[in-house]
Amino acid sequence: MSHWRRLVGEPLVHFLVAGAAIFAVLSWQGSPDDPASRSIHLTREDQARLAVNFAQVMGRPPTDSELAALTGQWLREEVLYREALRLGLDQGDAVVRKRLAQKMDVIAASAADAETPSNEALDQWLNNHADRFAQDMALTFDQLYFTSRGRAVVAKTLLGGGADWIKVGDPVSLPARFDSASRAAVSAEMGAEFARALEDLTPGGGWQGPVESALGWHLVRLRAKEPGVLPPLAAIRGRVEDDWRAETGRERQDAAYRTLREAYRVRIDR
Amino acid sequence: MWTLTARLLGCVALALLAGCDMTAGMGGGASEAARGDGTDTVKLAEYPERVFWGDTHLHTDNSIDAFGFGVRLGPEQALRFARGEEVTATTGTPAQLDRPLDFLVIADHSDELGATRRLYDAPRLLIRDATLRRWHDMMHEGPRQSQRAIAELITAAANDKLPAQLRDPDNQAKATEEIWTRHLETIDRFNEPGKFTALAGFEYTLMPDGNNLHRVVMFRDGSDRTGQVRPYPGIDSSAAGLWDYMEAYEKNTGGSVLAIPHNSNVSNGMMFELTEPGGGPMSAAYARRRARWEPVVEATQIKGDSEAHRFLSPNDEFASFGVAGWELGNLPLTRTSTPDMFGGNYVREALKRGLTIEALTGVNPYRFGLIGSTDSHTALATGDEDNFFGKHTGNEPNKDRAASPQNLGTSTGRFGWHYLAGGYAGVWARANTRAEIFDAMTRREVYSTTGPRVTVRMFGGFDFTDADFGGQGWVGAGYKRGVPMGGELADGGKAPVFMIEALKDPRGANLDRVQVIKGWTDAAGKAQEKVFDVTWSNPDKRAMTGGKVPAVGDTVDRARATYTNTIGAKQLRTLWRDPEYRAGQNAFYYVRVLEIPTPRWILFDAMRYKLKLPPEAMKEAVAQERAYSSPIWLVAKKAATTT
Repeated sequence: MSHWRRLVGEPLVHFLVAGAAIFAVLSWQGSPDDPASRSIHLTREDQARLAVNFAQVMGRPPTDSELAALTGQWLREEVLYREALRLGLDQGDAVVRKRLAQKMDVIAASAADAETPSNEALDQWLNNHADRFAQDMALTFDQLYFTSRGRAVVAKTLLGGGADWIKVGDPVSLPARFDSASRAAVSAEMGAEFARALEDLTPGGGWQGPVESALGWHLVRLRAKEPGVLPPLAAIRGRVEDDWRAETGRERQDAAYRTLREAYRVRIDR
Repeated sequence: MWTLTARLLGCVALALLAGCDMTAGMGGGASEAARGDGTDTVKLAEYPERVFWGDTHLHTDNSIDAFGFGVRLGPEQALRFARGEEVTATTGTPAQLDRPLDFLVIADHSDELGATRRLYDAPRLLIRDATLRRWHDMMHEGPRQSQRAIAELITAAANDKLPAQLRDPDNQAKATEEIWTRHLETIDRFNEPGKFTALAGFEYTLMPDGNNLHRVVMFRDGSDRTGQVRPYPGIDSSAAGLWDYMEAYEKNTGGSVLAIPHNSNVSNGMMFELTEPGGGPMSAAYARRRARWEPVVEATQIKGDSEAHRFLSPNDEFASFGVAGWELGNLPLTRTSTPDMFGGNYVREALKRGLTIEALTGVNPYRFGLIGSTDSHTALATGDEDNFFGKHTGNEPNKDRAASPQNLGTSTGRFGWHYLAGGYAGVWARANTRAEIFDAMTRREVYSTTGPRVTVRMFGGFDFTDADFGGQGWVGAGYKRGVPMGGELADGGKAPVFMIEALKDPRGANLDRVQVIKGWTDAAGKAQEKVFDVTWSNPDKRAMTGGKVPAVGDTVDRARATYTNTIGAKQLRTLWRDPEYRAGQNAFYYVRVLEIPTPRWILFDAMRYKLKLPPEAMKEAVAQERAYSSPIWLVAKKAATTT
């Protein structure tokens, strides 16, 4: 009994399920090794696969002794897995059923996972989903804060007379300078109405306003306003590839299911 | 073909053993800059000039309890959500933050990392332990039963009665290694210096008898260093064991790490003891270690607020915020709390105890800064009242959540409406990188809010003048001739003076008032406290009478869950000198900012789902959300400092 109990946490148990999934794949691929036979052949390719798996987890290839241990473990699992199939342990278990179905999804998506999309494909992806990747408008400006509109108006006159700008505003815990701040960031820090007002200003060297924000009144020197552009693929390749992969995987799952589903006749009693 | 099979095999095996995140792409690896601590990747401001907002305490499906409560979102979705993207919550609702966060620490429980998922995935036939098999069945039966199973599991953990299977160290170590390695890769991919910071961390879940002594552990470093260690499990260890682990980490890797205690409110007096754990006077060495490794404390989160309790602070009319329900007992409510325990449960009292212990040993163990967090177990770091996704998946938005009992244990007394919507940490840093965020925590230039993004700035010194404070150069003067929040001032025989500013959340409510909370030790060595109202809105109409500022008013429409900013102020500032300064006294000063009254999440629920809340919940349906700064300490000459 006790060794059964120990097995619950053992990789073996999980491997039974994994094995069933792999069985599905291998039989579909026409693997030379029949899980029902009592002959096991561990090829060099099988061993390379174990090494790759190890390297993915540990970030380095296994040493010879580690590889020997992996091989031994694999062999042990393979024997127990085949015996488990012989005992029919994969039958009638809701979890096995669910996991196998999930594995089918993974198989369908995994082609997208393993594939390295071409630059052309990603470039097209980028352009077709420009809204996901376009940068926000970038605003570069100086701002002076005032607790009332009246104080801002007076200050604007003083600035017109040559006053030092850094000494004119009311003190506040806001940066005086914003360099290429995204419209979203400005909106989060000063309120949406302020960000909207800035959009309508024309960049130049003079002080504009007063502009109202959620926090008070401001004079603004808008030094640059760069519209949101779509960055070139090279600058955001990783993000585009992640997005492509996630969505392509999902699409392939759906497509694979639709193909399989078409072969079934389903009757649901009402 | 083999490549495909190899990948598949790897992923299938990982998925089953460790819960490999199938949605994560394998390509698009993190850049060099994203994998490090962010040093030299972005331009640093001369002084911290803006607040960065974040959550240091978020759970995903890798946490043993979160998975059992039902969450099926992992670290990747958690990071996407925190940086502002829309994701679909486990229960199917689209979820998005009103504004992105600047940083995130995913802090999954190190104990039994990924274990409930493994139990869930295990074939039933092979689960021989009766308890585990029952939990397995309950988890598959449906959300409600799953939550009950996890409540039982937490109680079992609290009582040291977890089935041996769940605690098999070899299996656990292996699974933890796989999850951690993958997790570090994920956060590196999302870490964008200057834009969004993803820090490595975990939750250490020390819980003797169910008394909550949990800490969030947070690393400064990139995966080159954090990859050399594993999260430290510790449900049956001691905090000293955690500090040993942290010390070894720094020594072996050259990196930096800190711990953040939280939910002292359900520790039954054990979080901030006057003695060493288990009794006996606290030694200077122990106090020094505590202060060294735990520079900040989480003062507020979903499971209640730990700032102050009316029992300890009878003269503070705003004390006992967010204590309803939580004050009844320890975390699983297996043991009730009695008032003699409150001293070790609340942060203000801990700051006072720190002074008392400093007087005895020369070292202040509780010289810590304050932050807020969510402790959300939904992978969604929500902090806004009108966008609350619940403590765990069982109370993601649904019509029953506000009034349902929410007991982790078997006793009664806590309901959905006792949950707060969660807090955030405000961090004054020179740039948004791992190193800058972490270093701000270390120097305690951080503060706590109950959710709103209120800006709070504070400088302490001795010679600040109205001219300094009234001009644009006040921040520069603050840094050059004083210290920011979290700092220490050496007592020089002169009353300290503070430059204080609070700005409303640009998308939130106006401010009612700013208070300074002072704690000190009197001539007899007894710790004292006093709350000063230092500036408030509409002072012309709200003159102080009998030492009290009249209430700000209340614009909340209970039927519609709305309020108006027709009362309160956008900005409150003051230069404040301590009028009760006595030379030679150790003291601390922190700022508390109150918003005007606004609807709590339960009122939004009542409106959305057309509910009639129970009368005791209605009493808690409107609140004055708030922010707590980290203190500035005035250190008398004789006393040694902790640093």
